[in-house]
Amino acid sequence: MSDPADGRGSGKGQMSPEDKAAFEGRVSDLGDRLGKVRAQRAADAHANLDAEMRGRGMAYGMRMAAELVAAVIVGGLIGFGLDRWLGSTPWLFLLFFVLGFVAGVLNVLRAYERMQKEIKARTGGRIGHGIADED
Amino acid sequence: MAAPKAGEGTGMPDPIHQFEIHAIVPIKLFGWDVSFTNSSLFMLVAVLLIAFFFIVSMRSRSLVPARLQSTAEVSYEFVAGMLRESAGEAGMKYFPLVFTLFIFIFVANMLGMIPGAFTVTSHIVVTAALAAIVFLTVLVVGFAKNGIRFLKLFVPEGVPILILPLVVAIEVISFISRPVSHSVRLFANMLAGHITLKVFGGFVVMLLGAGAYAALAPLPLAMAVALTALEVLVAFLQAYVFTMLTCMYLNDALHPGH
Repeated sequence: MSDPADGRGSGKGQMSPEDKAAFEGRVSDLGDRLGKVRAQRAADAHANLDAEMRGRGMAYGMRMAAELVAAVIVGGLIGFGLDRWLGSTPWLFLLFFVLGFVAGVLNVLRAYERMQKEIKARTGGRIGHGIADED
Repeated sequence: MAAPKAGEGTGMPDPIHQFEIHAIVPIKLFGWDVSFTNSSLFMLVAVLLIAFFFIVSMRSRSLVPARLQSTAEVSYEFVAGMLRESAGEAGMKYFPLVFTLFIFIFVANMLGMIPGAFTVTSHIVVTAALAAIVFLTVLVVGFAKNGIRFLKLFVPEGVPILILPLVVAIEVISFISRPVSHSVRLFANMLAGHITLKVFGGFVVMLLGAGAYAALAPLPLAMAVALTALEVLVAFLQAYVFTMLTCMYLNDALHPGH
């Protein structure tokens, strides 16, 4: 093993020109094959990530809906309870229903911010751009 | 969904039937019905499976893990990474709780994918109980660690004094809505998924019994197969999302500053 390394280390190879050409041919051939495998792997990984993100899209959608609805329900219930307690039907219910809606929108905005961060961290922001939807 | 007309006879199998609770061992305690039901049975099965898996997989404790051991280690790393990322090193104190929640929900969801099995997490009582554990933990930890400063969570900085009461009310509602959305999401996902699967399965049966239309039966069957794959993904994702949110809420309890 040390011989070829010595040969190259001394600048002028002891390989004959034909040997050298064959060797370089093999090297570049290997490089090509490696490049193909790497490209294939990257494409596979990207496709996997894309599929994963699509699956996640549904989970995110459900999450948004739950965030919004939950706050409206909680707001409405608080208002309803206060109304029954204070006998001010229906004013507090109306007020807290609207506040619940505001809180719901706030929830959704916050969830969206976190989601953006998560997706960026996971994909480097590559998903959803430049991937043709050909399937 | 196309509901079968009243006179259609045998028609569709009831898609809700799979969620019925029935007592296996009826027990009455001080007038309360605490029967051992099919739901309890599957919770017990889930817990036993988990305990069995971790005991068996970690028995060898080799430095170079075999297949089972590395599965257990991957699940540990997964949850630990999630917790560390969102709640910091201080959050690792609550790792046992978070890991238990994740594994229990995941295994219960996956058990539900076995045909004929009961899906524990498709009942809101169960998911609400889980969410309540998280909510109460956050409250207790938040007040224990930060005292009265925990209430700062409801008072954002830089808000004019005039609209502060309004903002605080909104923040409080938003905080209380957490366990609601936390539990509803898991339960709704599992319920909806299982009903959809059953409905498509029902279509196959109905078409097969409809003379010449039986030729169309493979269509809903293919759909049911695709949905099953999706449901497996949802089963994992919902366990993941539940755990993720638990981590985030714990983070609020530990660092209410922002």
